Amino acid sequence: MTRYVARRVLSLIPVLLGVTLLVFLVMKLAPGDPAQIMLGPKATETSLAQLRHELGLDQPIAVQYARWLGHVVQGDWGRSIQLKREVLPFILDRYRNSAYLMILAVLLACSVGIPTGIISAIRQYKLDDRVVMVIVLMGFSMPIFWLGIIMQIVFALKLGILPVSGMQSPGQTGLPDQILHLILPAVALATGATAIIARMTRSSMLEVIHQDYIRTARAKGLDERLTISRHALKNALIPVITVVGLQVGYLLGGDILIEIVFSYPGIGLTMVNGILARDFPLVQGAILLVASSYVLVNLAVDVAYAYLDPRIHYEH
Amino acid sequence: MSQAAKATPVVQRGSPAQAGRSQTRDALRRLRRDYMAVAATLFLVLVALVSILAPLLAPRDPIETNLSQRLVPIGTPGYPLGADELGRDILSRLIWGGRISLLVGFSAVMVAMTLGVIIGLLAGYFGRWADSLIMRFIDILLAFPAILLAITIVASLGPGLRNAMLAVAIVGIPYYARIVRGNVLSLREQEFVQAARVIGAPDARIIFRHILPNTLAPLIVAATLDVGWMIMAAAGLSFLGLGAQPPTAEWGVMLSTGRQFIRNALHLSILPGSAIFLVVLALNFLGDGLRDALDPRLRE
Amino acid sequence: MLKGKLLMAVMVLAALVATACAPAATPAPIQAPAPTQAPPATEVPAATEAPAATEAATEAATAGGPREGGTIIVGLQAEPTTLDSQQISDYNSHRAAYGIYDMLLRFKDESTEVEPGLAESWEISDDGLAYTLHLRQGIKFHDGTDFNAEVVKFNLERQIDPNHPYHDTGEFPYAEFTWGMVDKVEVVDDYTVKITLKERFAPFLNHLAMHPAAMASPEAIKKYGRDYSSHPVGTGPFKFVSWTPGVEVVLEKNPDYWRGAPHVDRVIYRPIIEDQSRLTELEAGGVNFIVNIPPDDLPRLKEDTRFTVVEQPGMHTWWVAFNHTKPPFNDVRVRQAMNYAVNKKAIVDNLLKGTGTLAINPLPPVVWSYTDDIQRYDYNPEKAKQLLAEAGYPDGFTCSFWVPESGSGMQQPVAMGTAIQADLKAVGVDCQIQTFEWGSYLDKVIVPPDKAEFDLFEMSWIGDNGDPDNHLYILLSGEQWPPAGYDMGFYKNDKLDPILKEARTTLDRAKRTELYQQAQKLIAEDPPWIIVDHETQIVVMDKKIKGFKLHPTGPFRFENVWIEE
Repeated sequence: MTRYVARRVLSLIPVLLGVTLLVFLVMKLAPGDPAQIMLGPKATETSLAQLRHELGLDQPIAVQYARWLGHVVQGDWGRSIQLKREVLPFILDRYRNSAYLMILAVLLACSVGIPTGIISAIRQYKLDDRVVMVIVLMGFSMPIFWLGIIMQIVFALKLGILPVSGMQSPGQTGLPDQILHLILPAVALATGATAIIARMTRSSMLEVIHQDYIRTARAKGLDERLTISRHALKNALIPVITVVGLQVGYLLGGDILIEIVFSYPGIGLTMVNGILARDFPLVQGAILLVASSYVLVNLAVDVAYAYLDPRIHYEH
Repeated sequence: MSQAAKATPVVQRGSPAQAGRSQTRDALRRLRRDYMAVAATLFLVLVALVSILAPLLAPRDPIETNLSQRLVPIGTPGYPLGADELGRDILSRLIWGGRISLLVGFSAVMVAMTLGVIIGLLAGYFGRWADSLIMRFIDILLAFPAILLAITIVASLGPGLRNAMLAVAIVGIPYYARIVRGNVLSLREQEFVQAARVIGAPDARIIFRHILPNTLAPLIVAATLDVGWMIMAAAGLSFLGLGAQPPTAEWGVMLSTGRQFIRNALHLSILPGSAIFLVVLALNFLGDGLRDALDPRLRE
Repeated sequence: MLKGKLLMAVMVLAALVATACAPAATPAPIQAPAPTQAPPATEVPAATEAPAATEAATEAATAGGPREGGTIIVGLQAEPTTLDSQQISDYNSHRAAYGIYDMLLRFKDESTEVEPGLAESWEISDDGLAYTLHLRQGIKFHDGTDFNAEVVKFNLERQIDPNHPYHDTGEFPYAEFTWGMVDKVEVVDDYTVKITLKERFAPFLNHLAMHPAAMASPEAIKKYGRDYSSHPVGTGPFKFVSWTPGVEVVLEKNPDYWRGAPHVDRVIYRPIIEDQSRLTELEAGGVNFIVNIPPDDLPRLKEDTRFTVVEQPGMHTWWVAFNHTKPPFNDVRVRQAMNYAVNKKAIVDNLLKGTGTLAINPLPPVVWSYTDDIQRYDYNPEKAKQLLAEAGYPDGFTCSFWVPESGSGMQQPVAMGTAIQADLKAVGVDCQIQTFEWGSYLDKVIVPPDKAEFDLFEMSWIGDNGDPDNHLYILLSGEQWPPAGYDMGFYKNDKLDPILKEARTTLDRAKRTELYQQAQKLIAEDPPWIIVDHETQIVVMDKKIKGFKLHPTGPFRFENVWIEE
């Protein structure tokens, strides 16, 4: 097991390198000069040339990438062109914001999705199953940004019980205030995640329920509920971990659409704005951070999976 | 929207190609009993028909502007579903837009599936270093936040529907690659494949005759579910201004511009939003139904 | 089984209907709406004095004097990128940083005429090259250091001298534009500075009131270096407190401000990107002052008694440029035809809904020397077709039309572009729209003629200093083709160029006015663009905020504003 983990961790490195290289190359392909974008339309050619030189943009592409990489491993993640700040503290800050949102969204999604999936599975094809799955699917099929705007209008404006946008009320720093701000975007995000988790739970439960050993337990006459909870549930939840893990990894990358609608300063918006401004240091840094967390979360999920279900056999 | 959406298991038992046909018949029978899936299919067929017949059915030219009729509500004479911010007929734009949105969704899935299947087959069948290399590449694609990759691609290729479709397709490749690879890996060890190898059948034949047909089922399910995702991803790109160019009608663009008028002309966003919603919902029902039908163990 | 499905279908339908109906209901106004709107900005106002915006804005303090205290929370359209005034290139940063600083000279309220700022008096030498400024004494920066002539020298040289030790603490996009004509800066004594120019430049005094002329504390720059962007120190009415990126910029009042302490305690700037979210925040009370209001929501806000709408014509112009190096746009008849073909009034009335005024002149009406005694191109598609036929294009032609998706000052670029495209198509000119996101757009549009791939493109311009030169010379002189300037369509009018050149170097206001009026006539006869509108500056604020006046250059002045109970 440890060897497996170690090998996986090592194999992460080329992946991460690949990710940063990929985004770097694709951004380079895109028209758009970060110097021009930053200084605006009224900048003179001299100031543009000067900025480009300072940023090292006049170097060959390979050199630029290598330089960035060299600095990164030494801990210098550079300065954002557009924001005039150091990249690392800034993206960590935004990443943390996205993490808060992720935690709440995943908690909501699990607390609604898992029981839903279980109930649905138990009462398969009956009315409950259908109704519940339809409602859950509805949340999944709705364009999330549209849902967000509607929620804003209904809950924040008409009912006035929740804040409209942002992360904090002006001038405040308290935690309860922050949590209030998280609710609407987290619920919007959770609608999609709930569907995924509910579905997975349902199908996983169904698979388990129909397994032979459950039938045997039933035949033995054990209490239905006991049967379900002890045997079925434990095994059914294992694949659910995968899905939850995937959601965690995904949400840690920030959902750009929700961040725009709710003006939530998360990492998603940071990356998109960075791309649009051709802000290479910022985007590279942010991608590295997000990709790393994503693959690490995946690894954790795989390890947990392997640990919990000894039937899974990993090659090589 | 995430790739994780589609990470649901579809277990596929392999069998020689001949048995596949009766399996299909069984599956169809089961599917027919699933009312939701049937309703969904009918709805989708209806939508497809309307899209194909767009030139005949749409009452007006979808790009004809009429500034004096801006934002008129549903039911205005001449504009049964109202008009948008430039006075264009929403009904016509919905019909034509459906054409484009569906086309984008299906095309993206086709492209992603083709490429993904090829990659997955290669990785699963030939194993070892081919597998490692390919999966490394897939991992790189996957580690990228989906929308971000799409945005980056569109930013370099330039905005436009075709580029948006390509971007979304590229993002979707890993999904299919993984499914196929997983199935191929398990199928490869099965008896009939081993047997074919022992006989000395060429690899290509084995792949196409034995392995591919058995991965079809999960692929079909995956693709059905994916079309919905692709449509929404394309709409998301349009929301960010990177999709269809004006004056093209496309549901995502309509939704995106409509959000500016949420207070005073809700129909501009509700209508395309509902259209996307219903189509994606129907696709999800169909996909779920297919999955239930194709996995005999889930039968009651 | 069937009943169950039916029930479900009904529920789904009900859910859809519910979402459709609920948000549409609007609350009834609390009392009978009394419009607080400003009269729409009309034609020619006098000189550069903008007409008084609204009743509310020019209200004097109620009996007892303005109330002290309160917080103004501004909803900005985007996050500021820097609070170092000299590094600013976008409006949001300009607005957030404005209250922190004073400039050497100051624009008068609601005008682009200058008055003393940190410099209380000045002389200009006879040859027009040397400007001697006498600085106010006893002023201190927010960090306690003194303001004096050395400070002025430091601030100016930091921007223009590549060898200045603190030149690399930032990028100065406006340095060339603002100080490019400066030869040297000398300290005459503790409170006297002499700036010598390389050549006569009439608008220079206005440059001393622009944002690159904001005085920053040299000690702070030395201490923070590149991080000064987020630790600004000035002499202005508000002190910097904190900047949480993506969340807010907080300023608090400077009780020792030399012009008198502000009434409000704090000003907070919150970036809220999504227009509807910003609006919702205003209505829910999360902010009490917003900008960039979607035109279709404006009528509702004007009728809402909770809010005051303040409007003022801006120094802004929006147009579609021709690429003059490509036929058929080098034929004046074609350009005139296309001007006749577009129904600009319909765009202004129906799309912009009062957030802009019809434009016939590249110069905004608020800038002095503006005249409307020039050739006009009112909507006349028949005339357009006729002119096109005369020019040899009876069946029209095809072209490319570049449109940005957004951008500062671009208003509704896609909608306006689409409407213009439709109008042109009606006379046979078939343009293919291509949209770009703002970053790529600028990159592709501000290029020398050999790199220009476009036929038509949208652009706008916001004046910086209220001088006609800033609009006419920079945008339309044959000498200002990129990369030298911003004549991005490569317009060159040989009769016009010498007039603009002369107006730049003459210091006599009357003579300059005459020259610029001539220029405007020439431009109208030989249209460089399809000119559409001048954007009106509009802000909406909580009714309790009093005493606010808009300024033509854009930033918000809160030092004399107060909040009622």
